[in-house]
Amino acid sequence: MATIARPVTADDPHRRPNVASANVQLPGVRDYEQVDNDIIRTLAPSGGWFAALGLAVAMFLWGAGAWVYQIYWGLGNAGYNPPVMWGVYIITFVFWVGIGHAGTLISAILYLFRAGFRTTIYRCAEAMTVFAVMTAGLFPIIHIGRPWKFFWLIPYPNWRLIWPNFKSPLVWDVFAISTYLTVSSTFLYVGLIPDIAVLRDRETNPVRKRILAVLSLGWRNSEKEWRHFMRMYLFLAAFSTPLVLSVHSVVSFDFAMALTPGWHATLFPPYFVAGAIYSGIGMVFTIIIPIRKFFKLQHFVTINHLDAAAKLALFTAMVVGTAYLIEFWVAWYSGNTFEQNYFYNRVFGQWWWAAWILLTCNMVFPLSLWSQKLRRNPTWLFILSIFINLGMWYERFVIIVPSLSHEFEPWQWGAYMPSWVDVSILVGSFGWFFMWFLLFIKQLPVIAIAEVKEIVPPRLRTHAPVTEIDVSGMHVDYSPETPGEHE
Amino acid sequence: MSEQSRVKRRDFLKVLGAAGATTAAVGCSQEHVEKLVPYLASPDETVPGVSNYYASTCRECSAGCGIISETRDGRSIKLEGNPDHPVNHGALCARGQAGLQGLYNPDRFRGPMLRDASGKLAPLAWDKAIQTLQQRLGEAKSKGAANAVFINQHENGLFAEFLDQWLGAYGMPAAIRYDAEALHAVEAANKQSFGVAWPTYDFSAAKLIVSFGADFLEGWGASVPNQLAFADARAKLGTAPKFVYVGARRSLTGLNADEWISAKPGSELAILDAISGSGTVQQAADASGVTAATLQKLVDELKAAKPSLVLAGATTANAKEVALAANALNQSLGNVGTTVKNAASSLSMEGADNLDTVRDAFTRMAAGSVPIVFVRGANPVHSLPTALGAGATGTVADAFKKVAFKVSFSSYPDETTDLCDLILPSHHALESWGLVEVVPGTLSLQQPVMEPVFATRDTADVLLAAAKRDPAAASKFTTADWRSYVFSRFPGGQSAITAALPKGIANGTLPRAAATRTVASAAPKATDIAATQGDFYVVVHPHAVLGDGRGANKPWLQELPDPVAKICWQSWVEIHPLTARRMGIQAGDHITVTTSAGSIEAPAYIYLGIRQDTVAVALGQGHTSYGRYASNIGVNATKLLAFAADSGSGLALTTSKGRIATSGARSDLPSTEGSARQHGRGVGQALIAVPGANGTTFRAAPGHGREMPQEHPAGEAAGAEAEGEEHLPGDADHRFLPGLRSPVANDAQGELGDPTSKDKGMYDPNHWSGMAKRRWAMTIDLSRCTGCSACVTACYAENNIPTVGARWQGRSLRPFHSSDGSGWDTRPGANIIKGREMSWLRIERYFEGGEDGVGEFDTRFVPMMCQHCGNAPCEPVCPVYATYHSPDGLNVQVYNRCVGTRYCSNGCPYKVRYFNWHGYGEEARRQYAFPEPLHLQLNPDVTVRGKGVMEKCSFCVQRIRESEHRASLEHRTLQPNEFTTACAQACPSRAITFGDAADDAWAVATLARDERAYHVFEELNTYTAVVYLKKVIHPAVS
Repeated sequence: MATIARPVTADDPHRRPNVASANVQLPGVRDYEQVDNDIIRTLAPSGGWFAALGLAVAMFLWGAGAWVYQIYWGLGNAGYNPPVMWGVYIITFVFWVGIGHAGTLISAILYLFRAGFRTTIYRCAEAMTVFAVMTAGLFPIIHIGRPWKFFWLIPYPNWRLIWPNFKSPLVWDVFAISTYLTVSSTFLYVGLIPDIAVLRDRETNPVRKRILAVLSLGWRNSEKEWRHFMRMYLFLAAFSTPLVLSVHSVVSFDFAMALTPGWHATLFPPYFVAGAIYSGIGMVFTIIIPIRKFFKLQHFVTINHLDAAAKLALFTAMVVGTAYLIEFWVAWYSGNTFEQNYFYNRVFGQWWWAAWILLTCNMVFPLSLWSQKLRRNPTWLFILSIFINLGMWYERFVIIVPSLSHEFEPWQWGAYMPSWVDVSILVGSFGWFFMWFLLFIKQLPVIAIAEVKEIVPPRLRTHAPVTEIDVSGMHVDYSPETPGEHE
Repeated sequence: MSEQSRVKRRDFLKVLGAAGATTAAVGCSQEHVEKLVPYLASPDETVPGVSNYYASTCRECSAGCGIISETRDGRSIKLEGNPDHPVNHGALCARGQAGLQGLYNPDRFRGPMLRDASGKLAPLAWDKAIQTLQQRLGEAKSKGAANAVFINQHENGLFAEFLDQWLGAYGMPAAIRYDAEALHAVEAANKQSFGVAWPTYDFSAAKLIVSFGADFLEGWGASVPNQLAFADARAKLGTAPKFVYVGARRSLTGLNADEWISAKPGSELAILDAISGSGTVQQAADASGVTAATLQKLVDELKAAKPSLVLAGATTANAKEVALAANALNQSLGNVGTTVKNAASSLSMEGADNLDTVRDAFTRMAAGSVPIVFVRGANPVHSLPTALGAGATGTVADAFKKVAFKVSFSSYPDETTDLCDLILPSHHALESWGLVEVVPGTLSLQQPVMEPVFATRDTADVLLAAAKRDPAAASKFTTADWRSYVFSRFPGGQSAITAALPKGIANGTLPRAAATRTVASAAPKATDIAATQGDFYVVVHPHAVLGDGRGANKPWLQELPDPVAKICWQSWVEIHPLTARRMGIQAGDHITVTTSAGSIEAPAYIYLGIRQDTVAVALGQGHTSYGRYASNIGVNATKLLAFAADSGSGLALTTSKGRIATSGARSDLPSTEGSARQHGRGVGQALIAVPGANGTTFRAAPGHGREMPQEHPAGEAAGAEAEGEEHLPGDADHRFLPGLRSPVANDAQGELGDPTSKDKGMYDPNHWSGMAKRRWAMTIDLSRCTGCSACVTACYAENNIPTVGARWQGRSLRPFHSSDGSGWDTRPGANIIKGREMSWLRIERYFEGGEDGVGEFDTRFVPMMCQHCGNAPCEPVCPVYATYHSPDGLNVQVYNRCVGTRYCSNGCPYKVRYFNWHGYGEEARRQYAFPEPLHLQLNPDVTVRGKGVMEKCSFCVQRIRESEHRASLEHRTLQPNEFTTACAQACPSRAITFGDAADDAWAVATLARDERAYHVFEELNTYTAVVYLKKVIHPAVS
């Protein structure tokens, strides 16, 4: 990509727009060869990886076993306690869909906005999106009473001429999730093509080489290919962008379209989208910080990148926080006794602890990110990301369970406690997600090789030992003390 | 084609076709092939798939209501009240409905059993069994037949008379007519005052009804006729009587009262004395713990309101005196002749043997002088107090065991039958012939509604068979069998009985029960409760649903929440909230109640309607051996009772104070109650009647009731809001707009769901089917509804609703939680604890007022079922159209289309949708709700729902369609009020009316426009098809 050798000035009109600004430079990366070597070496399986994969597969199998058990005995083995007819499965469904959103935000929207810090983390985020949506997609099926009939939700021609009910938000979900899965996997794959070509070129095993050759679609690194590739990439980014907003809006309609107090609010779509992005960034931190550490990629995913992502997390945290407060305000202002009663109960009722977990994790802890010191502390970011994940799971819990247990009809107010089957399937979903993710990171580069090369200055033809060229092509003195180099 | 090819094209196709067809045929069938065998010679009157109806008499309690059994393909599938019957006028209570589950009880004896040497029951042939009986009768005769005891369930009619005749032929004394539910004290007092055991009470004529513990809606007298009469009285609205209940605990009857005077148990007589003038109000106030002002008001009201009606049903030591005082008061207030009529209302109350007789028999058994004992339809070992009490040693069971030979005619294993040596299971009442005189001059016929389920035999036939083998007795019994005996005794003979059978009733009389016998030793008398030791009055009362416990083996009745406590499948101790707070007791904490007679331990239920110094426990549970549904559920409250009679020689139930303590254990209550408070949401609305010079006016009662407009100016919305009513900004208008509005009936979900389409298909009112012209709707009059819950059981029966609360139906939700680690949650009512009851129709019971625990409170019973919204929130959210709106206004649930997303339930504001969490309809599962032969009761018109689908009230759509088809076959249109739903049909207070609200000829259309009408949560714009009519409260006598 970055093939220019001619120095340009910062105000040069021909300067490529998609180059990193100073704080996203990779000072620790010297040249393209190092990029290839450092990233491709991470594909070698290690003992730790096998252990992690084994754990993930075990968790997945345990969850799968619980599901089979549940199918046999009926949903009564989950903790449903009418009127709480939705529980852990829908909570976890929304949780995983939400996780998926950060991936597309980082890979598509931030690409369009030329936010350079995305370059090193986007592959990870995009893969996370695909696997999170794959995980989420299972939950509506796990959740329904007759999972063997789930295909009735899909509009397919049949001799009875029965179509699904297009008024139902659950049918919208089917479209939203399947579209999202299709587009985000396409986007992931397209972005991978140049990298697969690199792998193909280095591969010695003929079988793998053949497979990679097919997957790379015969990529030859020609300028024409690059031109087509960049247009395609831009197009897909633009195509994915509305999905970030629409998919979680549709998911929020599952709630907003019902009469249930605590659900029936026009605020839900933006609120859910913000929450989804927030939770996704949380999960990106949870994933990228260990990867960066164990794969020794600190010089790629620099502190500056984490800092920038943390700012995004802070911003979305404040958006969701505001939404939480607006919900209470709306309930008060509406004068609707059912809503008021529900919102009072949300924080002081039977489920007060869940609401306070949510408010603490999602509104209070992220405020620490105002501190630059903490933003630049990967350990803190990792800890915080766990809290964000927890808080966002509880956000959906607080939306679903207290609302349903405290609806219009006081005679039917109830309680809810997840059963061991619920918890097993929840754990199993993490196993399923991490199983795919762990398999992914040992097969395909977890950092986009080609895109990183865009922000790494090319080696000059004439050796200039005391000067380097920066990403915009300017010659600068090399200083190992560039911010972000060390933690 | 080449020579090598041996398979020709045609052959190949043939083989392919055959193989394909076979594969398809075999592969598609998941279940074994069942053969449909048509009748070659059809039995008379039997058309497959078409019901026959047989009139008979209900024998679930002694009242003797008329029933009609719907019998389809030779199986009785539903019991309904006989509209022509003078007792119940077409209504039927929950117990009556559940008679079918006695008939099809899976624990019934399949045939005669004899206890062998090892003490185990072994089946034997009827012939052998009768031979054994005859042999034992001979032995008993030689030991002194005069000492033999036959305990027969109390039921008036021909059998009782025949039995005494048979016993007489063997030289044995007349049978003991045993009825643990009989109110001997009241009957004795009535006999003394009026000459009949049960006079006729006219609730409608009274201006004030005062009940001293007389729970006439649930067991004091025949509950169904009482409900009818009471509801008719209350339906007079403006001129309806005020109802005051005096008692330590608000029973179901008490909850229907306008005022509750929470007098101490045993103080009723003092209050009655104060009213009659033989005592002072202050004395009564001191004795009863009620303020003198309250009592003075009662005295004044009784003096002013004429006529009034005073009823007494105390169960304390002085029960007869209380009843006599009430009768005297009726006399002095001039009520006799107006509200109390000396004509007997029901002969069923006559002739039950009192506790003296029962006790005498058991003391003789204890003494070892009884050579043989027979038990039929009674379970004294469970329903009597454990110990025989003063003057005798040992327990009732020990006494029974001492008898040399014990014969049971019971159909079910129970605590008494367990001790018997020979079991000759009798037919169920629905399989037998009989003849009863229920009200003077009217005979009620009992006829078999189907072939016997098992190899049982009518007791009368067994006795006849035994007698015929005995040369001494044979000559006295010439009739071939019991059936011909009944026929021979019917006035008018064979032709008359043929004419009478379709209606089930005929004119005529039977010989009345013999005069009360005299016994050697009377039962010990109960002591005055005030003189006993203890901190709490212990009130023991019959269970409102299970009675003395005979209903406990019927899952419908176990699953039916107690109308007061809303607890099923469990016993509970009622305790006042302030007492509970003082003692640190939470709902579900186990309380040990100890009296001088014994102690029980049961979870606490915190109940506003009980005195602070009183605890109450219901009888009926605690069976150790009464089939799978009754055994090991709850505790038997008779353990708290001494074997002591009240002054009218009935078993005294409230005789002792006691101590209570928490045991440290706790168990979740299998209760269907969420919040007992409406939180101002106006689910059950009420009006307060304010008597005035120009007639009664009404004002809104608390709990979202709204001012009742005096007139309805058309097109003019009522102007200012009712005074004192808070209208919050943004709150939709709650005021009722008359008429049912259904925007959807004529709307969008026609053909392909295109709202702009001109072709609305069947949703077009001009469609040839005319379906969209109808709007099925229901009104529920809360002034009439007493909360008795008969409708709930009717709904279970009609709609194949599974019961889910049995001990083996619950799955454990915590790993390794269940005691045996098997994954089963074996707590009684485990699924109910998780809120998973399936009752399509439930009775919500809200309290208004009394939040502080001491103030007055009012009860609102709200039957709640699918409201069949015109604009249903459940319909648009279903992704697969499993729920949709029918052209005639029904909210339809398609079970086999449902995938079980449960989104509809989330959308439903009324929470009336029920999900099949387990495979309750799957035969091979432990959770199967209809174990053989209970499944014979299943209504063939209604699907048994599978695992993972949603279900709900269908407005008995099968009845709607059946009536439409019948009308169509008869080339006519439906007649107004031609049919009704199961709940409306059963309702003993006639609170429910069903019909086509779009057609003014139907009763429901008029009622839906009543001034009291409202829709629940009308502000949600759901346009419900169920219209409630507000309850009317009468704080003052009109």
